[in-house]
Amino acid sequence: MKLLARRAANGSMGAGTSSSMRGVSGQTITAILIVAISGGLFWLVQIYTSALRDPRYLDGWLLAGGMSLQLFFHVATKTGRLSPKSIMRWRTFHIFVGYLLVAAFLSHSNFALPNSAFDWALWTGFVLVTLSGLFGTYLAWSLKTKGRVDDRIGYDRIPLRVAELAQDMKAIVAMPDPSPDAIALPPAPYDAWIIDLYTNHLQDFFEGLRNFSSHLVASQRPLKRLIDEINHLAPYVDAQGQEKLSRIWNLVAEKDALDFARVHFGLTRAWLFVHVPVTYGLLVLSVLHVLVVYSYASGAM
Amino acid sequence: MWRFFWPQESDSPKPPSFRRDRLALLVALVTAASTLTAFFLSKSTQFLMPGPLTSAHASIENCSSCHSKSGDGKLSWIHGLVAGNPIDDSKACITCHKMPATAFFPHGASAEVLLASTKRLTKVAASTPEPLSARAQNGAFPAHDVVSRGLTCATCHQEHKGANFKLGKISNEQCRSCHVVKFDSFDGHHPQFENYPFDRRTRIIYDHASHFEKHFPEVAKKDAAKRIPDTCSTCHDSPKDRRVMAVAPFEKTCTGCHLDQITGKERATGPKGIAFLALPGLDLQTLKNKNAAIGEWPEASEAGLTPFMKVMISRTEKGRALIKTVDKLNLQDLSNASDDQITAVKDLTWEIKRLLYALISGKASDVLGDLNIGSGGKLSASLVADLTASIPRDVVVGAQQQWLPNLASEITGGAMTADPQPVANDPEPSNSNAATTEEPAAADTPAASDEPQSSAETDEKKEAPSENASGTKYDPPACLMRVLGQCLMPSGQENKAEGANPEGAAGKDDSANATSNGGNEKRAAGSLPEPMRAGLRDARPAETAQVAGEKATSQSDELLRPTEEELREMKARSNDRGRAPEPRAIPSQPDTASTSPAKTAPVIGIESNIDPESWAEYGGWYRQDYAIFYRPAGHKDKFIYSWLFLTGPQAPKGDRSPAAAVFDFLTSKDAQGSCTKCHSVDDIQGKGRIVNFSPSSAETKLGRFTTFIHEPHLGVMQNRGCLTCHSLEKNRPYLKSYEQGNPHNFASNFGAVNKDLCQSCHATKKVRQDCLTCHKYHVNGVITPIMQTKIPMQ
Repeated sequence: MKLLARRAANGSMGAGTSSSMRGVSGQTITAILIVAISGGLFWLVQIYTSALRDPRYLDGWLLAGGMSLQLFFHVATKTGRLSPKSIMRWRTFHIFVGYLLVAAFLSHSNFALPNSAFDWALWTGFVLVTLSGLFGTYLAWSLKTKGRVDDRIGYDRIPLRVAELAQDMKAIVAMPDPSPDAIALPPAPYDAWIIDLYTNHLQDFFEGLRNFSSHLVASQRPLKRLIDEINHLAPYVDAQGQEKLSRIWNLVAEKDALDFARVHFGLTRAWLFVHVPVTYGLLVLSVLHVLVVYSYASGAM
Repeated sequence: MWRFFWPQESDSPKPPSFRRDRLALLVALVTAASTLTAFFLSKSTQFLMPGPLTSAHASIENCSSCHSKSGDGKLSWIHGLVAGNPIDDSKACITCHKMPATAFFPHGASAEVLLASTKRLTKVAASTPEPLSARAQNGAFPAHDVVSRGLTCATCHQEHKGANFKLGKISNEQCRSCHVVKFDSFDGHHPQFENYPFDRRTRIIYDHASHFEKHFPEVAKKDAAKRIPDTCSTCHDSPKDRRVMAVAPFEKTCTGCHLDQITGKERATGPKGIAFLALPGLDLQTLKNKNAAIGEWPEASEAGLTPFMKVMISRTEKGRALIKTVDKLNLQDLSNASDDQITAVKDLTWEIKRLLYALISGKASDVLGDLNIGSGGKLSASLVADLTASIPRDVVVGAQQQWLPNLASEITGGAMTADPQPVANDPEPSNSNAATTEEPAAADTPAASDEPQSSAETDEKKEAPSENASGTKYDPPACLMRVLGQCLMPSGQENKAEGANPEGAAGKDDSANATSNGGNEKRAAGSLPEPMRAGLRDARPAETAQVAGEKATSQSDELLRPTEEELREMKARSNDRGRAPEPRAIPSQPDTASTSPAKTAPVIGIESNIDPESWAEYGGWYRQDYAIFYRPAGHKDKFIYSWLFLTGPQAPKGDRSPAAAVFDFLTSKDAQGSCTKCHSVDDIQGKGRIVNFSPSSAETKLGRFTTFIHEPHLGVMQNRGCLTCHSLEKNRPYLKSYEQGNPHNFASNFGAVNKDLCQSCHATKKVRQDCLTCHKYHVNGVITPIMQTKIPMQ
């Protein structure tokens, strides 16, 4: 049993390593691209400045254009114009453009903190949007690298699936051991041991979302503790009991994965409650900013 | 659409995005509301200001001070969204920072300068490799687009970047973006210098080579006590304006050798003074034959019409026409002159007489205020004083008494001469004559010395050829009474004067003089020239009633205060300025009785061996022959300076105008004062000529793209000192380059400075080599004048 579990765990890890290797190389390319494009942007601004133009109009409009692009993704998602596959691609592009906009923003703010209240409001808005975006990106990356979330499971379906698992668990635990009938020996209390295990360790686990904080940091320690409990009992039960424990083990692993998914899907939704509203606020400020800038342009365009 | 922003509630289960979108909308509304609240609560439109102004502009509080369309209202800044002229805001800048009319041209230079510069540099660009970055920049964002739209102040000077931001900072790449020559760095492919720093010749003509090699050694040999400069710093220093290597003033450097050239002491030939007023010699016989009524005129005069008189006569339209006509004539030989020309000569004589009369009877500033020189406006009294070197009235009076004793009567309607009446005066009293005996103190005043004086001995010399006058000699009427150098009572009137005022100024000596003048006819006071009649109490009421006589009487007052009548007359004259009094009807027949030279009375003078020219050794006015001369008083002589300054702009080379005649006269090789021996003359295309009196200064360097400050370089010079950069090159045609008027055609005594020399220090990782180290952008300068502050008054 232990060997099986370890093998399974190793296999899972091996698959994860290979996919993470692919992910790392992809991320490296993305990072190089972002750095290269940002460098190109800075150079463009530099030669624009040299050509006796105000660079704030160039990087400002690049920033505004990029923000419009990001906004389009939001609108398209909301209006359902994009297929799920397109949404995935757009999301990747959304993150990529987000990094470039950070470069454009740094250039536009001339790598300096703002000097006025209105500019501080703009700066704060952009920084909040950026930070929330980065957090969301981290979550997406975190889910992907942990490899424990089945993308096919929607966030809304998780509680239902958890309830099903709990039912399954109860059914497994309640199933009588047929061996005493075959061999007329005093019955061994295998079922009672398993019921104890369920009662003491698993019943509460299956009743709802558990180990939130551990899942937040992607810790598998609670799962390992449960698995250890099951593994400790396994040598003392008969083959049927071991079969039960094996099924229990699978259910526990699946429930833990669902809890992890639920935590992360929840966060994924929660950060958007910062990202999107602040974006709206930033949009309002940006429009005002453009109006003010062109009102006071002084022929510097 | 609205549903997108504000999803409507329904009974169906709400997706999480529903709450999120509502929150987003709420945040947007709160943001807009708080921004507007903050804006309306803030002072003025400061809330919108993107950042603090530089410290120099920190006191500006109203946005509308610089943003012309901003206005003063809370929302008036929205007007800025309407497209307008981008230059408008920059015009606000130049309300404080004064710039020339070409402010919005690149470099603030004129289009001509930019065009010429671009043409020149285009040739240089062909041989200069263009860096890749410059090519990329020019390809992506060509700067000529910006320039063609018009440069604004904000193109380079971007505000709201903090108190310590350097508004004047501009990068090499920004400079390069416009320029046709695109190079990498100064120590890279910066073009070689083109004859730097000799953009133009020096204003002072100073041949270093000949002074070093010839003049200094000669002077040292001749006079060991004379101080000869031994270092460059004896004459050169840059203490005030660091951009200019100034030359020490004349008084500290050149005066030892050159002052005598200015005052004329070293002049071997020709007059040492400048003939200012003169009675030109005329062909009197021809004039008489042609019945030209010119009145009395000295036949001995051989003087010419001075260029100054041409200008003075040309102050009226009629005068200009006259000068134009008579300029072609030889006034001393009019035998071939046409009738019109004779008439012109006749009119000229009357113009001269009127001029003399006006100079005596009025103020010079009133008479010459409308000289047709300078800007064309009325000349100020002080300027006229400079133009006439404050000529004393007595000098003119003295001359008039000698030359045209009956001038007053001729002009004011007294006895007239219809035909040329030769006046046999001796205009050269000084060699043999001096002040009259009744005026022993006259020698104390220079004016008195210039008065026409004669003695009885002069009569004896009438036939003898004079040193200075070749014509008939003449004894001026003896003056029996003088006040402030003015002859109030000529001899011949002593009987009347004595009868009227037995306690007159004339004493026994006067009587003696009068006695010695026996044979001369006595003249009535009314027939005397106006100044000569002054002070006489004529018994005849008709004559005493004469305005001129009364005026002369009042002018003889010791305070020389004008009477009310004089004031009225002066006022009337100022109203009719430019119109000298016309001679009254000139009879066609000569009235010989009234103009006979026999009427002049001899006086006894003091002999003197000093001629007037020598007497005026230290400058000033003197009279010789039939001309009044001015002798320069020294360096910076205002008389010469003001004439050159005013006539230059109206005197293009080759011009024949009266102004040009004065300018040519004063700038000729042998001109008195020798101003243009050292001060170069520049031909300004279409603007005449100017004499470079002012030394080189920051103002004269306006328009130059390259700037150099000597001071920081003085410490790095090697043992050769100034010669490290300025190598003396002998045998160059330095002086020849001043024989023409273009200041940019120049052969310096010194070799040009090479780029390699500068590059030995100004190189990468050594000394800064950015464009602004040696070049400035606003070549015509930007000044911030003092604010117009009203004087606090109660």
